[in-house]
Amino acid sequence: MAGHAEGRQCLAKRLASTFPGKGERKGGVINTISKLTKTCTLRLTVCKLYFILSDKVANGGASMWCELCQGNFFDEFQMEGVAAEHNEIYLELVPENLSRALKTAHSAKAVKIKLTNKHCPCLRVAVELPSLSSSSRIVTHDIPVGVIPRRIWNDFREPTMPDFDVSIYLPVLKIMKSVVERMKNLSNFIVIEANLSGEMNLKIETDLVSVTTHFKDLGNPPWASEDGCQSSAQGRNLESMAEARIDIKKLQQLLAGQQVNPTKALCNIMQRVKRRLKERQWSGDLTFLCLLSLLPSD
Amino acid sequence: MKCVIGGAQLRVFGRAIHAIARISDEFWFDPVEKGLALRSVNSSRSAYAYVFFSSMFFQHYCWTAVSDPCHKEKELSLPCKLIVKAVLPVFRCANVLGRNVEKCSISTSPSDHHITFQLLCKHGVVKTYNLTFQECDPLQAVFAKHMCPNILKVHSRLLADVMIHFPTSQEEITLSVTPVKVCFKSYTEEDTDFSRTMVTEIHLSPEEFDYFQVGVDSEVTFCLKELRGLLAFSEATGVPVSIHFDRCGKPIAFSIEDVLLEASLILATLCEAQKEADSQERCCPQQWGSSETHPDKPSGDEPNSTDISKHPQRDGNAPTNPVAKQEVKSIPRVTGRDVTGRAGTATAEAAGEATEAPYQKFHSLFFGAVSYKEKDATGHTFQSLATASDTEEDLGPLQSSPVL
Repeated sequence: MAGHAEGRQCLAKRLASTFPGKGERKGGVINTISKLTKTCTLRLTVCKLYFILSDKVANGGASMWCELCQGNFFDEFQMEGVAAEHNEIYLELVPENLSRALKTAHSAKAVKIKLTNKHCPCLRVAVELPSLSSSSRIVTHDIPVGVIPRRIWNDFREPTMPDFDVSIYLPVLKIMKSVVERMKNLSNFIVIEANLSGEMNLKIETDLVSVTTHFKDLGNPPWASEDGCQSSAQGRNLESMAEARIDIKKLQQLLAGQQVNPTKALCNIMQRVKRRLKERQWSGDLTFLCLLSLLPSD
Repeated sequence: MKCVIGGAQLRVFGRAIHAIARISDEFWFDPVEKGLALRSVNSSRSAYAYVFFSSMFFQHYCWTAVSDPCHKEKELSLPCKLIVKAVLPVFRCANVLGRNVEKCSISTSPSDHHITFQLLCKHGVVKTYNLTFQECDPLQAVFAKHMCPNILKVHSRLLADVMIHFPTSQEEITLSVTPVKVCFKSYTEEDTDFSRTMVTEIHLSPEEFDYFQVGVDSEVTFCLKELRGLLAFSEATGVPVSIHFDRCGKPIAFSIEDVLLEASLILATLCEAQKEADSQERCCPQQWGSSETHPDKPSGDEPNSTDISKHPQRDGNAPTNPVAKQEVKSIPRVTGRDVTGRAGTATAEAAGEATEAPYQKFHSLFFGAVSYKEKDATGHTFQSLATASDTEEDLGPLQSSPVL
């Protein structure tokens, strides 16, 4: 109940935002997320929105971190968090509901999102649609949300970039998506291997058949100058492949959900005890990070 | 009976079949002299669909069955019941039907209980579907649309734009009207878990409607799933949709009508518990009068007064009929739900009886179902034209009910 009381406190200070004409973009991000997961956490700060999924499943699970600058989506954005020094709000919601609410937002005159408390905390999305008459049509959707109490905010920290062995840019996502979709019919697991020479292979292997798709000249992002956490990558043989074996369905969901064309999409493979595969995508003003944890090889 | 549907009209016909398919697993296929009628009712009697294609809709329409002099009584073109699942594949992909199929011919042969759908497609391909039908009693519903205080008329495009905001899993929605506003919202019961349910509301201005008449403020809740079929059909025809309704508990009718066809979907509405006090008066069974409510569209001859002794079931057409409608409608709606909380007194009474009995009782009241007895059947045959005129008088009362 303490969490609930805290929740009420931050609800009393409401969030109001309007973003005419930008709904489509945001809709795209939310559609992507809604395909990946049933529920996720929305973190609101003064300048950013984060969609977070922290999946505690060790083997084959996925976690996600998506960061957006509110200025790119909202014309007006007001937010007051729980307290001055914790000026943030964490909400648990079903992204599919939000995606559905914004379905017609692309043709809307205005879209307003408010955090209110009717029967329970909810996000009220009000879409003002043009109509044949002088007065507009108003569609309101009340999306129930759960307010996450401050004491567990620590669970939603940004994942630190783990030590990786190889970092490589992904091929055109559409191509990769169609390859993975066909492979999905043959096997449950896929092995991604890549090296520092811009080569990447997608492999599946079953008793009857093994299929490998080779990509080359993909390019490797230059991490050297950014931070010092790729010591394992330095001094590495350029030709040697680092591989990761992951659940093909999760990969396919991640690729299929992509409706935002990233300017850069890359994949970090870490072949270690912890073994995590990361796919990080940028499109200028939003960052989408998805970690797929590896499956143990046989 | 034999008819031919041209390529352009196939899409419309296919959509009609799909709309009917949403109601029930089987439907009535009823060719009459003026055209072809399709009817369907769901198992709980809370939804009824009726589509009528006039003979002008078809490239060719011929009702006289090929006569076989030896089997006079078999010439009667009784309505037949078809299984929806058997007919749907014929009109699958209604949208592309018009492109690939040049025409579709439907013919019935009552003597061996066969109905044949034949699609003449491009490149000389002919698809023939032979289905058997069951003879059955006719199904007709009566609903006094003209007695509804609230009438809205709007193009199906607007309704489709409204319904798109509700998820396909949304079962029921509530339409709430006052003279100055219209609102569609997702229906939530008292015990809805709001922390899990998304609630959607759409507010429209009366100006958006082609015709807007609100005699009484009302809030009616009905099943959305069944309505979607009719909306798709209406979009294919381009004919605006009329909505007739009253207070909650009374049925709501969605209908379209033009020169070539007409269609109606009558849905039961929920009777809210808080309006129980009001509804108690309306739900009480009343005496059936003998005078008849004049229909807004008599389908045949001049309406005559009902002869009670001859057609006892038709007493359902009495002025109290709209009341009966409400009574009936309240009950079927509660199938599978908490009965007592829902529909007021009448429900509570019915619930006390055996499950089958109330449905049977209300079935006959609601539909004024006329079962053809043997002699009536022969009296009604096409060959009656040749007989004395008193047979036609018998026909009169039958034809004049506000049947749909």
